[in-house]
Amino acid sequence: MTEGLDKTDYDVLNAVALKKMASADAIADAIGGDPQQVAERLQGLAGRGLVVEAGGSALPTDEAEPALRAAADQLYAPVRADRTVGELVERFETTNSQFLTTMSAWQQVDVGGRKVANDHSDAEYDGKIIDRLDKLIARLTPLLDVLATHDPRFSAYPRRFRTALAGVDAGRTELVSSPTVDSIHNIWFEFHEDLLRTLGREREE
Amino acid sequence: MAEVLAEGYNVFDTSKSPSGTVKYLASPADVIALIQSGKLKEHILLVRGGTTTFLAPALSMGAIGVITMSGAPESHLGILSREFQTPCVMTAHLTSSESRYVVGNTPEAHFEEIAKTLDGRKVRLDCTDHEIGRVLADD
Repeated sequence: MTEGLDKTDYDVLNAVALKKMASADAIADAIGGDPQQVAERLQGLAGRGLVVEAGGSALPTDEAEPALRAAADQLYAPVRADRTVGELVERFETTNSQFLTTMSAWQQVDVGGRKVANDHSDAEYDGKIIDRLDKLIARLTPLLDVLATHDPRFSAYPRRFRTALAGVDAGRTELVSSPTVDSIHNIWFEFHEDLLRTLGREREE
Repeated sequence: MAEVLAEGYNVFDTSKSPSGTVKYLASPADVIALIQSGKLKEHILLVRGGTTTFLAPALSMGAIGVITMSGAPESHLGILSREFQTPCVMTAHLTSSESRYVVGNTPEAHFEEIAKTLDGRKVRLDCTDHEIGRVLADD
């Protein structure tokens, strides 16, 4: 348990921790690996008490977070020292607040001062929200690009965002916020958590 | 009318009024144990914050109701609870106490008091108001 995580173990365990509950296939998809290899790594991580299996998925144990934190301190010291990253991250906080507000506006509309569920009957309203999301995602590009120069796994986020946005454009609106598909909200949330761990920061309330 | 034990932000209006025993979840292990116990649907889940991200598996496995002690309806957990249509009262405070959550300046005692008071109690959530979510005694 005390020995550190190698990079592949880190990538697999990090994906489990970001997704909170994930199958080997979903993890392989997110990190661009082979499902069989991911399954073997998960077994190893389970043997070390870092994940448990429940309902066909892997979940992180309480020990996962400290192990990831310790590994990230080693792996990402150069990222933390990169001033460009630092500057771009400052801007990310504002973008993130706007993203959360926009996501809530997708779920609920204001009718006479009262928030009611968006029934998605107003295509113009929905279109505006999707445009805004598109712009907010585009604002992440410089940060994602520089992170990918440090660790190529960050290039998975632009790829996943592109796939989700293309699906939304094709009418699959569940790809905006549904927690059960690789939606824009899921991808954003995972990126935010990943970013905080990479930088060794805590989530703010 | 039943006694109102706690009030907070109502994350979304719903006529669903789940009833169950409050279970305080402090860590991912608590969530895993609850899911594995097969008794997830008997409980209203109490967590510390809107940033308590380890709750997601419980929501996807069919949690019936959630109470948080901090966080805003626009937070990640708020967004998830609307997606899953799981009634959720956020930043709940006890009606019997003067203590309130203040961002970045809330003593531990505030959270401890709420957890101690609500954990194990049979409650019902009332999420019909467009602003205030209520935790009612149901025992």
